Amino acid sequence: MRVVSAIAGGLGRPGWIHVAIPLALLAALAATPWIGAEANLLRLLFITFIWTTTGIAWNILGGFTGQVSFGFAVFYGLGAYTAAILINTGIHPYLAFAGSALVAVLASLMVGVPTFRLRGPYFAIATIGVSETVRVIMSNLSVTGGASGYRIVEATAFRQADHFYTGLLLVSLAFVVSVLISRSKFGLALTAIRDDEPAASDVGINPLTQKLAAHGVAAALAGMAGGVYARYAAFIHPHGVFAFNTSVYILLIPVIGGIGTLWGPVLGGVIFGIVEEQLVASFPQAHLLIYGALLILIILLEPGGILGIVRKGLRHPRLRFNP
Amino acid sequence: MAALDWLNVVVAAVLLAGIYAVMSVGMTIIYGVMKIVNLAHAGFMMLGAYFAYELFERGHLDPLVGAFLAFPVFFGIGRLVYWLFVRWLPVSNQPTLGSLLLMFGIWLVLQNLAYLVWGNEDRSIFTPRTFLTTQIGPITISTLRLVAFAVALVSLVVFELVLRRTWYGRSVRALIQSRYAGQLVGVDTRRTASLTFGLGIGFAGMAGALLASLYSFNPDFGRPFLIRSFVIIVLGGLESASGVALGALVLALAETIGILFVPAGYQLAISFGLLVLVLLVLPGGLAQLFAKRYRSA
Amino acid sequence: MTRSYQSLGFFPRSFVVLLALATVQGCKREDKKAVTADAITIGVVLPLTGREAKPGQYQKEGIDLAVKQINQAGGVMVKAAGKKLPLKEIFYDDGSDQAKSASFVERTMSSDNATAVIGGYSTALGEAESVMPDRYKVPWITPGAAASAIFNRGYQWAFGMLTPTDILGSTTAEFLQSVVEAGKLRKGLNVALALENTDHGIDYGNGIKQWIQKHPGSFNVVFSETFDLGSPDFSGLLQKVKSANADIFLSDAHLQDYITMHRQYIQNGMKHQMISYGARGPETDARKALGDGVDYIFAGIWWSKSLPYPQVKQFVKDYKEATGREPDSWYAATAYDSVRILASAIETAGNLERTAIRDALRTAELKGSLLPGQTVRFGPNGQAQNPFVIVQNKPGGKVDIVFPKDAATGEVIAPIPTRG
Repeated sequence: MRVVSAIAGGLGRPGWIHVAIPLALLAALAATPWIGAEANLLRLLFITFIWTTTGIAWNILGGFTGQVSFGFAVFYGLGAYTAAILINTGIHPYLAFAGSALVAVLASLMVGVPTFRLRGPYFAIATIGVSETVRVIMSNLSVTGGASGYRIVEATAFRQADHFYTGLLLVSLAFVVSVLISRSKFGLALTAIRDDEPAASDVGINPLTQKLAAHGVAAALAGMAGGVYARYAAFIHPHGVFAFNTSVYILLIPVIGGIGTLWGPVLGGVIFGIVEEQLVASFPQAHLLIYGALLILIILLEPGGILGIVRKGLRHPRLRFNP
Repeated sequence: MAALDWLNVVVAAVLLAGIYAVMSVGMTIIYGVMKIVNLAHAGFMMLGAYFAYELFERGHLDPLVGAFLAFPVFFGIGRLVYWLFVRWLPVSNQPTLGSLLLMFGIWLVLQNLAYLVWGNEDRSIFTPRTFLTTQIGPITISTLRLVAFAVALVSLVVFELVLRRTWYGRSVRALIQSRYAGQLVGVDTRRTASLTFGLGIGFAGMAGALLASLYSFNPDFGRPFLIRSFVIIVLGGLESASGVALGALVLALAETIGILFVPAGYQLAISFGLLVLVLLVLPGGLAQLFAKRYRSA
Repeated sequence: MTRSYQSLGFFPRSFVVLLALATVQGCKREDKKAVTADAITIGVVLPLTGREAKPGQYQKEGIDLAVKQINQAGGVMVKAAGKKLPLKEIFYDDGSDQAKSASFVERTMSSDNATAVIGGYSTALGEAESVMPDRYKVPWITPGAAASAIFNRGYQWAFGMLTPTDILGSTTAEFLQSVVEAGKLRKGLNVALALENTDHGIDYGNGIKQWIQKHPGSFNVVFSETFDLGSPDFSGLLQKVKSANADIFLSDAHLQDYITMHRQYIQNGMKHQMISYGARGPETDARKALGDGVDYIFAGIWWSKSLPYPQVKQFVKDYKEATGREPDSWYAATAYDSVRILASAIETAGNLERTAIRDALRTAELKGSLLPGQTVRFGPNGQAQNPFVIVQNKPGGKVDIVFPKDAATGEVIAPIPTRG
């Protein structure tokens, strides 16, 4: 009940609509395999779920807490490899994903403790350094396949609906976690740290522990996303899951969608999962151009991302609904 | 390994440091003054390389002359980019996510434009000078790398002179120390920023043009250099020419000599491991050491 | 920046929901590009941008040429349709990104309803793609991925045009042995290996080492290390190679690294009796970047335009007409033949049932193939086993086939003359 009231509550706003819409969306998505949607659609939605989860995860650290990491792929990749190795030993996939989350959290502590005292751009640069170092090490580590990549062989046959529901469950979990954090004292502390860290510590918030906590939650989600993806793709490679490009996509998602918001990463994930593929299929030569241009426009015109544009648009008096 | 071999390796590392320095100067200037981490740096280097290539192929222009020409051309391009895009960014003492992403977007656009214009072939510039070697004592070194080193040295010296002797340089130093204080004493921040951005991109284009003689390149060019620039920024600090030189030297030495003891596959891990290590010990980069020295004077 | 802990108002959120639902609806309404009665859909997933762009483009050109020629002759005879059906190619650029590569293969196998899929240049992309054919039960042929790891998994729907890379390694060793037996090189020479850290490099190295193990006394491996792709400087590595005092230098690298490394090799004044960069050597871009520095470098490749078969001469001519240049190295040829063997399998099957086509591929034999041996047949694990050719760059831009003897167009020069 507390969960529901947390989602429904907030700061005095009417609550039922805030629960109804996400639930309706969830129901619609959950029904898609039932009503016989084709495999391609399920695949696109699955990819969207994965990207959205990583976007939500990054948003918790980058959007809520203001710590911009350019190396989030390291958690995604560690989660992928952990799940892959565990699944190959025969463990139930969900346990493997829990393992992914655990390894990612541990890694986040190891990364966070030294790097959170860095100021300026050094934090962002350090995150790149960590991610690239891990990528190079994994490329050379023959026990996990090294540069040949690593394959997952499952005893059970592949059922796409299975993976679809796992992905849906994951993204719902991520969304709920994101909402809970945003409406809690923890979330307020994170926002305080983002807005003015010295002031926050003046009022009694310990920046380091709060940042580590946010980092841990974010890493766990990203790690699980990596694990779920690895199981679907059945083949992972250090140059794919640990790539700098992957880190960049993970941060593009909340930024394009609307950084710091709840639905921003969802919007970004949809763009990345579905729109991006259409772009590449239709404009193989020009899709980088379109992305870059979109990014430039968003940064210059509306840093709040697409959601920011929508909000500004809806502030037009005639459309106002909020009392 | 014989002493001569060691000497060879150290000299190779120093020459490599020259290459690293020349490519990082541009990024350093822009960060120092405007607190913008220029992710599009690789894109402008790539364009500089194509610039030299086109001049060489069509105009039969010596690529070294091309490199020198690249500087004023890209200075202009830099000021244009500033005027079109960068000046709209909110001003801040910290690098903002917006600036990071804007530059990344520009990089994506540049890459794709290059693909459309030149395709994905690997291009290179080949002249009789490519294999030319110079004999210095018992060591043989590549002439081109020596030239790149010389250019790096000259650029850093010129940069340092500009900082110390010109009104522009004074404005830059003021803004580096404190943007608000600089405005208070009458520094024209807009103009300084525009000139700085132009300088930064000018250096990037020149570095790219120079590197075009050494490496083959395609629109993806610059990525490994960009990543190493980050390492140099941290090692050397973002705010002085000597910082860049020092950072480049440390990185080049670590990479080249490190490989002698570690399997070659881990070369990048050395670079990044170094980065992370330095950050742990000195959260403000090596520049922190220098800052302490100056303050105690 | 927006306030994060206040949720948005009603309209923005409903807008988002509607947007999501509309996208979902839009996707569902996407028409299945079904196998219409008038064309055979072939999905092609190759890199046109990114690290593997150039070879990917050449492979696409090979495929395009084959499709064009087959369609010009009316198409592929499908008994069940009672007539010839043209091939329809649906192409996706995977940007050298594995996740995208696998995803596009899935898309073309499901949404486009492709009868078969050709794709996967380079082992990493090939491995990522190879998971999908068995999952969707669609035949998949790779003209660009050679790792035996792909074909040792008991996959039932995957086929490869390239002989495994470790055989490239052992062929190289065999070739060197033949040079020793011809009296041009001494016995028991030292070999230094500098391999790129990829499946290709590692398999190549293993092939060489295993062959040497089986023939004791033939050669000694005195140095073997891997390096990461895209390095701006190989001084350290080359110094190690120098210190190893080897007689033969065998490397395996992508084009960019080949150029960077060999430039530094020459600048450092290094010498060896034989030099190779694995499957790299005769590329035009390399000659442009290294001038006469490429002379005498030998390479083991899956195909060379100098092969003395009439069909090869015809192919080179047609390719030049279509693209304006001659085929560069081997890439286009394997892709070209992959389409041809697929077409012959479809004819044998007599219909467009994927299972029938897969079964036909298992026993298919492409006679008059461009590849060495002139016949392509898939082995029991799905991989072809055609022999390699060793080519050596000669001064003046010439490239000679030097091994095997029956395909040779010139004598091997060994040891390599010292520069300048």
